[in-house]
Amino acid sequence: MRKWLLFLCVALVVSCSSIECPVDNMVVAVYEFCDEDGNPVTLEDTLTVSTKLRNGQDSVVLNKAVGVAGFSLPVSQDHPVDEFYFNFFGKDYDVTDTVWIEKEDIPHFESIECKATFFHQLKSVSYTEHILDSLAIKKAFVDYDYKTTHINIYLGGDR
Amino acid sequence: MIIRRLISTSIWAAIVSLLLILTASPASAQKKFFTLQKDSVPVFRGFAVSLDLVGAGMLVFGDRGQIEGAFRVNLHDEWFPVVELGYGKADSHDEVTKIEYKTKAPYFKVGIDRNMLKEKHGPNRLYAGLRYAFTNYKVDITRPGLTDPNWHWDSNYNIHGESCNMHWVEALVGLDAKIWGPLHLGWNVRYKLRVSHKEGDFGTTWYVPGFGTNDNGRLDATFNVIIDI
Repeated sequence: MRKWLLFLCVALVVSCSSIECPVDNMVVAVYEFCDEDGNPVTLEDTLTVSTKLRNGQDSVVLNKAVGVAGFSLPVSQDHPVDEFYFNFFGKDYDVTDTVWIEKEDIPHFESIECKATFFHQLKSVSYTEHILDSLAIKKAFVDYDYKTTHINIYLGGDR
Repeated sequence: MIIRRLISTSIWAAIVSLLLILTASPASAQKKFFTLQKDSVPVFRGFAVSLDLVGAGMLVFGDRGQIEGAFRVNLHDEWFPVVELGYGKADSHDEVTKIEYKTKAPYFKVGIDRNMLKEKHGPNRLYAGLRYAFTNYKVDITRPGLTDPNWHWDSNYNIHGESCNMHWVEALVGLDAKIWGPLHLGWNVRYKLRVSHKEGDFGTTWYVPGFGTNDNGRLDATFNVIIDI
């Protein structure tokens, strides 16, 4: 009988069952500045990134970043292409490049109690080349991982 | 993470303990796993069918549950090979996240119970048992009216007909009491441990037919109406 009581106690202790929603549940794309050799560099200009909302208004998604080596931007939930305007403000220039991120959106589900999210598969990046030299996809899958670089930015052009 | 590992270790310890209890037998008979008490009662003692009322009640009064029946062979009132068949269903909606989750599928379990009482041939039984279970199911998950928080475009969050499967094992203890004639009532408590699972690219499923809400392991109870045949 004592054996059975012991087993029931163990069963009750191990019965704690829970579904946990992830704490870090932001889905963002991480960008990093690189030199032509692929080494990380710090941007000396002031960078502002904006995008156009559904109603046609501009919205700033990165405001006046100075001396940064990288940054993260949101990814639209269910839209084939995200369009961003990268404004570089330097000592004697104020130049804007446009960046288009083409992607596939994948609904992601953890539990009925966790908010609906999307993960993304980056397909291609295109851009104007006033200050930007090029952009390259480093990690194509965008999920809760906000520590790994998804897109490398190579600077050049009119600086 | 450490707590989860501790819980996982405890689960395995509990299952190993149950296995030891299941296989425990008098010293004279310890050489064989499957033993029967020596007496004048025949080995084959008939069949029993049963229906779980807890899962059925959850299905009728809640948004998820299962109909589950069992067919059990009685060997000498001591060993009971069991086949359990069920049909699990969920049609759930969360008020906060506004996610709708639907699934329905049959599931199958096979296993064995052992009567742990010293007096095997009495009207009541105390069981310990093990099950292996499997289900193959599809899920539909939607979130109507979702809007992108940054761009404010409409988002089509729709996972439709994704095929999934799960294998799990169960360790159980239970009681079975004779009420009248061939009618018995009984309950059991089961620890379910997920062994393997396959889900689509969308993440993890929430409710799995027969298993319940998806996790590495969970504790469940059944209340059975049993008829001896």
